[in-house]
Amino acid sequence: MTEHIVKSYEGQLQELTNIIVKMGGLAESQFSNSMIALLKRDQDLADKVIGKDFLMNEFDIKVENSVINLIALRQPMGIDLRETVSSMRISSELERIGDLSKNIAKRVRFMNFDLPSDIIASFKRASDVVQKNLKDVLDSYSRRTKDLAFRVWNSDLEVDDLVNKAMDEAMVFMKKDKKNLEISTQFLFAAKHIERIGDHVTNISENIYFLVTGDQIKGTRSKKRSTEE
Amino acid sequence: MRFILEINLRGSGRDMNEKIKISTRNLSVFYGPKQALFDINLDLVENKVTALIGPSGCGKSTFIRCLNRMNDVIDLCKVEGSIKVDGKEINTKNTDVNLIRERIGMVFQKPNPFPKSIYDNVAYGPRIHGLAENQEILNTIVENSLKKAALWNEVKDRLNQPGTGLSGGQQQRLCIARAISINPEVILMDEPCSALDPIATAKIEELIDELKKSYTIVIVTHSMSQAARVSQNTGFFHLGKLIEFNLTEKIFKNPDNKMTQDYITGRFG
Repeated sequence: MTEHIVKSYEGQLQELTNIIVKMGGLAESQFSNSMIALLKRDQDLADKVIGKDFLMNEFDIKVENSVINLIALRQPMGIDLRETVSSMRISSELERIGDLSKNIAKRVRFMNFDLPSDIIASFKRASDVVQKNLKDVLDSYSRRTKDLAFRVWNSDLEVDDLVNKAMDEAMVFMKKDKKNLEISTQFLFAAKHIERIGDHVTNISENIYFLVTGDQIKGTRSKKRSTEE
Repeated sequence: MRFILEINLRGSGRDMNEKIKISTRNLSVFYGPKQALFDINLDLVENKVTALIGPSGCGKSTFIRCLNRMNDVIDLCKVEGSIKVDGKEINTKNTDVNLIRERIGMVFQKPNPFPKSIYDNVAYGPRIHGLAENQEILNTIVENSLKKAALWNEVKDRLNQPGTGLSGGQQQRLCIARAISINPEVILMDEPCSALDPIATAKIEELIDELKKSYTIVIVTHSMSQAARVSQNTGFFHLGKLIEFNLTEKIFKNPDNKMTQDYITGRFG
């Protein structure tokens, strides 16, 4: 795209994009580390995730300040307006992903034994899909492509299905033995967090679609069974 | 399993009930050998504000000057193509130009009140057009016009003082009162706020919002944010061509044309 006549304006918009990209990178590693910590019951790694969450909040505040400055001082229009508005929205979605990753990491302390591998298979698959979607959606932000964002938006159902399956399996495991109760409960919480992260990733994809096209993806995605029912 | 996808094309829905007040087809203007406008096809919707934006010299002022045949007064100027007001062609030799200017008023960039009293500035038009049968009717016209121009309260006690003694913003509202005193159908405004401070500008913008209920308004402006604030439709001109004409919301959020995008975002090289 042609550069702005006013170079400092160009610089401010570029800076906003840079923060989102860095923030996205941190969100990716926070989420993936929280999953590793949970599945390996690695308390040190969990603590690192929890300790780094304040960085996500700092990024979010930085984005918000930049956006408010841009609106007040530059009155962005057209693509710049969409860039500015979607940055603020994407930033709050990423900040929530950070919070949920922290919450997953907090579960590690209460995991009192390793889960049997057949229980965690669906759970791990759901987490893999969400991690892949998060990566794709951030790629689509960097490259300003709508197709990838649209694919992610459309794959939310797969995540929901996998999470439901993981939760069903956890329930069966829970019913088997009283001592499974605590770990299964933690596991159910974590599964729910993954589903929520998936939702935030979907929201990001909607914002990218708007950023690139100026239109909003609108529609309904039928669900076999929602965990929110 | 079925996905239902609707892509909401925001801003593309036009009101089907809207009436076209003025429409131009293949409108071209020449200043001697130099062509200033190229085949402009534009519809101005009744009771809506249409903003025309574009870099200096792009032809937006030339365009609005065609609409009330103001270009006739320039010797070398030649206007070709069709200009229809309420479906009736006005770009013909036998069109009554005075009648057209009565129906289509104009407000200029620099406030230009006559060197007369506030009262006479507004009464001038109704007098020469014979719109008032007696003094009482004329008084009513002056008062109503000043009220419509949101100036009455500020000048009602000094109607006999010279119009040129008012502040810039008041002078511009006086010119608007003068334009509406003959009850036109369309008001053309050529950068009406470029010489005004933000408060006076806000008053004119509020006035435009009010006036559009009774008149069709066309405003040429260099301020993008003003175009965005006051208009419902926006046309972007460049080098004598109409590059894009769309709903204002669409133009400033997601224009179709790259040149429009570059212009409104300050990328124009």
